[in-house]
Amino acid sequence: MRSTLVLAILLMTAAVDAQSRAAPAPVSTARADAPIDLTGQWVAIISEDWRWRMITPPKGDIVSIPLNLQGQQTAEAWDPARDEAAGEQCKAYGAPGLMRGPIRMRISWQDDNTLKLETDYGIQTRLLRFGPATPAGPRSWQGVTSAQWIVRGGGRGAPRFGSLKTVTNNLRPGYLRKNGVPYSERALFTEHWDVHALPNGDKYLVNTNVVEDPLYLQAPFQTAIHYKLERDISKWDPTPCDARF
Amino acid sequence: MGSDTMRREILRITTVFSVLWLISTPALAQVELSGTYAIRMYEDYIERGPGSFLGDFTGMPMSDEGRAKALRYSSSLPSMIERQCLAQSPWVGLYRPLAIRIWNEVDESGRVVAWVMGGDYLRDTVRIWMDGRPHPSANAWHSPSGFTTGHWEGDTLVARTTHVKTAWIRRGVGIPGSDQSTFTVFITRRENLLTIMSVQEDPIYLTEPHVVSRVWEFDPRASQAPLRDTCNVGAEIPSLEDTGEVAHYLPGQNPEEDYMVRTYNIPKEAAMGYAHTLYPEYRKALRSIYKPPDSCGRYCCGWIERQGLPGAAPGLTCNDGNLPPALRKTLTSPGR
Repeated sequence: MRSTLVLAILLMTAAVDAQSRAAPAPVSTARADAPIDLTGQWVAIISEDWRWRMITPPKGDIVSIPLNLQGQQTAEAWDPARDEAAGEQCKAYGAPGLMRGPIRMRISWQDDNTLKLETDYGIQTRLLRFGPATPAGPRSWQGVTSAQWIVRGGGRGAPRFGSLKTVTNNLRPGYLRKNGVPYSERALFTEHWDVHALPNGDKYLVNTNVVEDPLYLQAPFQTAIHYKLERDISKWDPTPCDARF
Repeated sequence: MGSDTMRREILRITTVFSVLWLISTPALAQVELSGTYAIRMYEDYIERGPGSFLGDFTGMPMSDEGRAKALRYSSSLPSMIERQCLAQSPWVGLYRPLAIRIWNEVDESGRVVAWVMGGDYLRDTVRIWMDGRPHPSANAWHSPSGFTTGHWEGDTLVARTTHVKTAWIRRGVGIPGSDQSTFTVFITRRENLLTIMSVQEDPIYLTEPHVVSRVWEFDPRASQAPLRDTCNVGAEIPSLEDTGEVAHYLPGQNPEEDYMVRTYNIPKEAAMGYAHTLYPEYRKALRSIYKPPDSCGRYCCGWIERQGLPGAAPGLTCNDGNLPPALRKTLTSPGR
């Protein structure tokens, strides 16, 4: 038994040595490691909350969002003319509000470790960066997004699968809803991205997300948003931010 | 050690490693879904809370047949004794204001035979068979819960439901689903969040798949008992009892057909659930004709209003427009 054990260790050591003498393993990249393909043009299907997502609801309509009193008061003070005058007509196009908007988005690889998300609605761009954190810089509507593949399986011939988790901070204060329902610069936006396919080949992207904001929310705001992959990309229609409609 | 002995040892070790490799290969991916999940009504709150406005079919890709049937609906219909237990779609839970309880059923070896999603007093329990059994013949009995099989795709449980009854597929507005409906449902748990996305296809009442996605949060205290109660009936509209009359509206006579138009200024085609109104390009048509109403109307505060109950955040004053002033004063009084 002892000789068997010694031989096993020797064989394993030899295997490790052989590997270490081989050419160095290529540096993995987020693009190479991707367990799912998020690239393409996705369209939001507004089958939920139509009256709050497709159009701008009246001031004070804050239904379903867990605002605290300060959030409520801020929403009731919404003034789109003031936003326009301040050059802040994109307040409803920051990442937490944008993703629930009536958007088409194009996702592509900007480089091996950065996914680029562009929307026609508001002509916004957000970068989903894998790897070490980058300097934050000034706050912006899309903030700074760190991305991480959640990979499962893949060992010893088993299927490899997974999802994407992103966390966004460093946001400029903006709106969760077009009618001035606020989030603050302290907001943290966490998203889980999953891709599902139907037998007929249709693909859906589901974004399960949580907005946490100690200033304006009394509980995390949790929703799931779905998009469909478009083969025909002709309906892409860039339109600038609009504070009113 | 002789060469024969060495070969035997190598063979033996190879065998041992092979067996270890084989038995350590992971089984098909499965996620433990068992538990109770608290509802998070941050989407479609009005429908899931107090109930939709009659004539609100926004977000629906309905066929003309579906629209006509929905407009015949009266809220008195399910109040009639004969109809209080009418089947609700097995996946109507995505529109109901309730927690979800999930558990599994295993065979004697511990293998999961089915995942089960507990029902409630209006919705049957859904059993998702995982043992590879086929769907029944197209001519087989259609039950309130339909027939559902499932398999894992990565971390997602993918369920397919057939053999459903004709039923209301959303809450309280009469939107119908036919017994030819099929549902493909994706159930994914990410950390403490459970996401369920359903894709309903219906050749009778829909013009394209109806897609909805919802979130629940794992919460061991979220159980709502009794989970599945017998449907007890009682006369809610005594004047209709034993008359043989069936509450309904004749075509073109539903007084709420224009409710969304006159209340929220949205175009009638959007309120009436035409598929093209679900996509961003429809905003081009809306831009020139939509004017926000001067005030919110009813149910403006929704979630906050529920928080006026014990455990509320203090001091909220949202003007719901639907809350009696005396109750509002009580709920928002300082020190509450």
